[in-house]
Amino acid sequence: VSTALDLAARAIRMCEADESEALAHRERSGLARFAGSQVHQPTLIENASVLLRVVRGGRVGSASTNRTDEEGLLAAARRAEAAADAAPPDPEFPGLAPPGEPAAVDGHDEATAALTPEDQAGAAWSAIQAADGIGLFGYFTSGETELAVASSTGLAVSQALTDASVLALAASDMESGYAEACSWRVGDLDPAAVAGEALDKARRTRNAKELPPGRYRAVLEPYAFAELLFAFAYSSINGLAFIEDRSYLSGRIGEQAFHESLTLVDDGLDPGGLPKAFDFEGVPKERVTIVEDGVVRDVVWDRRTAARAGGGRRSTGHALPAPAQGWGPMPMNLAVRRGDATMDDLVERVEDGIYVTRLHYLSVVDGRDGIITGMTRDGTFRIENGGVTTPLVNLRFTTSFPDLLRDLLGLTGQVTRVSTADFYDDRYPTASLVPGVATESFTIIGTGSGPGL
Amino acid sequence: MRGLSEEAVDAAIAAGAGYADARAVERRTQHVSTRNGQVETVDDSESAGIGVRVLVGGAWGFACDGRLDVAGARDAALRAVAFARASAGSGRSQVSLAPLEPCRGEYRTPAGRDPIDVPLAEKVELLVRAEKALRHKSVKVTEASARAMRERRAFRSSEGTDVLQEILECGAGMDATAVGDDTVQIRSYPSAHGGTSFQGGWEEVEALALEREAPRLAEEAAALLSADPCPPAVTTVVIDAEQMALQVHESVGHPTELDRVYGTEAAYAGTSFLKPEDAGTLRYGSPLMGITADATTAKGLGTFGFDDEGVPAGREPIVEQGILTGFLTSRETAARLGSGTGGSMRADGWARMPLVRMTNLHLEPGTGSLEELLDGIDDGVYLATNKSWSIDDKRLNFQFGTQIAWEIKQGKLGRLLRDATYTGVTPVFWGSLDAVAGAEEWRLFGLTNCGKGQPGQHAHVSHGASPARFRNVQIGVRS
Repeated sequence: VSTALDLAARAIRMCEADESEALAHRERSGLARFAGSQVHQPTLIENASVLLRVVRGGRVGSASTNRTDEEGLLAAARRAEAAADAAPPDPEFPGLAPPGEPAAVDGHDEATAALTPEDQAGAAWSAIQAADGIGLFGYFTSGETELAVASSTGLAVSQALTDASVLALAASDMESGYAEACSWRVGDLDPAAVAGEALDKARRTRNAKELPPGRYRAVLEPYAFAELLFAFAYSSINGLAFIEDRSYLSGRIGEQAFHESLTLVDDGLDPGGLPKAFDFEGVPKERVTIVEDGVVRDVVWDRRTAARAGGGRRSTGHALPAPAQGWGPMPMNLAVRRGDATMDDLVERVEDGIYVTRLHYLSVVDGRDGIITGMTRDGTFRIENGGVTTPLVNLRFTTSFPDLLRDLLGLTGQVTRVSTADFYDDRYPTASLVPGVATESFTIIGTGSGPGL
Repeated sequence: MRGLSEEAVDAAIAAGAGYADARAVERRTQHVSTRNGQVETVDDSESAGIGVRVLVGGAWGFACDGRLDVAGARDAALRAVAFARASAGSGRSQVSLAPLEPCRGEYRTPAGRDPIDVPLAEKVELLVRAEKALRHKSVKVTEASARAMRERRAFRSSEGTDVLQEILECGAGMDATAVGDDTVQIRSYPSAHGGTSFQGGWEEVEALALEREAPRLAEEAAALLSADPCPPAVTTVVIDAEQMALQVHESVGHPTELDRVYGTEAAYAGTSFLKPEDAGTLRYGSPLMGITADATTAKGLGTFGFDDEGVPAGREPIVEQGILTGFLTSRETAARLGSGTGGSMRADGWARMPLVRMTNLHLEPGTGSLEELLDGIDDGVYLATNKSWSIDDKRLNFQFGTQIAWEIKQGKLGRLLRDATYTGVTPVFWGSLDAVAGAEEWRLFGLTNCGKGQPGQHAHVSHGASPARFRNVQIGVRS
C-alpha cells in the first residue's frame, strides 16, 4: 500500500459526511535552473498534501491541507464539512466516483526516482558544458510524484510517477536557439545533446530579417505545434466548453472539420507519453479519439460535465481537482498520429514559407473560432525554393488553428514528447506526443524583436 | 514561526552557508464560485511550510519542506546548502548583495472584517444574488466567484533581519457569456479573468456591488451578439482603466524587472528590450507618461512591510515624463547594477525562491474626465475590459483584445463593436500617448495570476490607472 494511499485513507476516516473523497499528493523534486551558463535558481521541493471533498445532504464542499498529522487532517475535515454546509444542495452533483479498476500503466522509473540533488545539478552542468562559447539558459529537473484517491464509495487508487526534463535556450545578444526533452525515464534524456541542438539552432539565427505580414505556408517543429495544440485543447477539447457552445468543436461531432491526415487522441495510457492511470476524481483514464481522419469524434469529460451532457455519456477520466473543476475537464495526454515525412520533406513541400521552432505567450483570441495569437521565437526562418534559408525576426501571428489543421500539407513520421508542464503549484508532469507539421495556413500580422537576449 | 526561521538560518550557517534566509509561511485560502445558478465550488484550504535560501561559495541554493517544525526547518536548510554546493559548478558564480541594514518589525494589512473570518455562507449568498441578477435570455453562462486569503510570513536572515507579516486579501468578479448563432461574447465585472482582488477586509468585496452591476453586464453581453466586428484601422483609441492596468503590467512592469534585463528569465518568461544603462536616458513614452512602483499603496496586492529579502517597502518612479528612471530590483540585481537597494523580491508561498516581481505599478493620473478624453476625437474607438493578451519575449510587440468597444464620433460614444483588438510596439505605442484622465477616474485593479519562474510561480500584483488616449494605433487585426 502506498504512502499517498495511506494518507488518503486516513483523511476520509476523519470526515463526518454522507460521502467523502480524498486526493493525496506527494512530491519530491529538484530543479536546477540555469542562466548565462550558471546554475542560479536551484530549487528542492518536498511536500505532501491532501484535498478532501465531502457531501452532506446533497451539499458539496472541499478543503486541503499539507498538515498530514491527525490534528491537521481533522481540521481539514472540519473545514470541508463547514464548506459543504455553507452551500445549497447541488442537484447537478453526480456523486463521487464508484470503485474502478484503472489500467496498469508505466510511468515510474527507479533510476529517475533515485536522482539526488547532486545528480540534478550535474545534469544541468552537462548541458551547460555542451554549449561552450554561448550562454545557456533553462533547467534540468526531475521528480517523483505520488497520487492517490480514496473515497467512502470504496474507491482506492494510487500511482507513483517519475519525470525528468531538460530545457535549453542557447543565446547571445544576436542569436538564440531552443530545444527540450522530457521523459518518465531519465535514461531517455541526454542533456548535452539537447544543449547541442539549441546551440546549433542559435548559430543559424544571426542577422535575422523582417517579413511582411500575410498568410504563409509554414513548417512547425513539434515544440511549436504542441504549444498551439495545448492552447486549442484548453479552450475547445473540453466537455464544459463543448456543452456551453464556447468550443470550436461544439456542434461539429461527425463533421470533416480538418485534413484527413489528422488523427488526434488523448491517451493517458500510452507509455510513450507521461502515462496516467486515473484522473483527480479517481476515474480510470480512457483513450479518447478526438479527431479521426479529420472527422471530429469527441471531447474529454469529467463526471459533472458528462452528467450534464446526458445521452449516456460518462467520464473519460479527465477531471481536474475539485476546486478547479470550473475550468472543465482537460486533455493532458494529447497525441497526434504520425505521418510519413521528414522535417526536410515538409520544408520541401512548403517550398515558400516560414519555419517555426518555438512559440511564446499564446492567447486564445476567440475560442469559438479557434483563433490564437502569439509570437515565434528562438529559431524562425524563411523557407525558399524548398529549403530553409535566412533567419527571421520574431513574428506576431494571429491565426485560425482550425484552418491550420484543415490545410495540413504533411506530418512527420517521428513524434516528439513535448512537456506541457511549467511546474506551477503541485507537481503534475504532462506532455503531448506530436509530429512536426506543415500547413498551408499560418497568418503573420506583425514583427517583433530579433533573436537573442 | 519566527523560531523555526531562526532555526533554519542557524542550521544553514553551521553547514557552511555564507548567507542564509528563511521564510516560514502559513497560507489559508477560500474560494467560492457559482455557475448557472448552482454553487460550483466552496473550498477552504491551507498550506504551510518553510523555504530556505542560502549562498554557499557565492552560489545560490534553495530547499523547502512542508513540515513546519524543527525537523522540517533543519532538513530544508541542510538540503539547500547541499544543492548550492552541487550547483556551484566551476565556481565562476559569485553573487553579491546590495547592503541592507538589519530590520526588525511587524506588518499587518489594515482591514475591517478579516476576509477569512467572514462566514462561507455569506460569501455564497453574495455570489448567488449577483449571479441571479446576471440572467438574461441571451446569456447562456453566468459565473461569479470570490476569494479570500490570509498569509502569515516569518522572515529571518543571517544578517539579523527578523520580520513578521500578516497579509489579508480578498476579491470577487463575475462573467456573463452570451451565445449566438455565429459568435460567443463575454462581459466581466469588475475585470476579466476572475475579477479583481485587494488587500484589506471583506468590505472591499462588498464595495464592488456585484449585484448592482450585473444587469448592465448581461445587457452588454447580449447586445454584443448583434454588434458589428471592430473593423481594421489605424486610429485614435481611448482605453479604459482596466485594460490600461494590463497594458502597464505587460509593457512596463515586466520589461523593467531587472532580472529579465540581465537575462535570467530568458528561457521562459523572456528578457527585456531595456538595457541596464538605459535608466535616466531612454525615452519610454510621451512626456505624459508617469509610472510609479509603490509597495505602500493602500489595498494593493503588492503592498507589504518588507519584501521577501527583508527590504522595507518603498515607492519610486520607474518612468517620469516619459523617461525611464529605474528598475524593479532585488538585492542581487541592485548590486550588479551598482544602484538601488532591492525591494521587489517576492515568492509564491513557502515552496518557491523569491524572484524580482512587480509590487504595485501605477500609471500616474493626468487631468480631466473620460468625457474630456473623448472630446475632440472626430473618429476613434473606445476599448474596454481585457479579453486576450500576448506580448513578445522582449516585451515589444503586443496584441490585446478587449471584450467590448464603441466607436467614437465627434467626441461621443456611438456604435457598439465586438471582437476588438489592438496591436503595437511598446515605446512607439507609449510615445503616442496624448492624454491620461485625472485622479477621479483612477482605479486600482488587483490580479492574482502573474506567471514567472521555473518552477512556475504566481504573483499577486496591483495596478492603478485612469483611461488614456493614444493616437495612430492599429486596431481590428484578426486572422
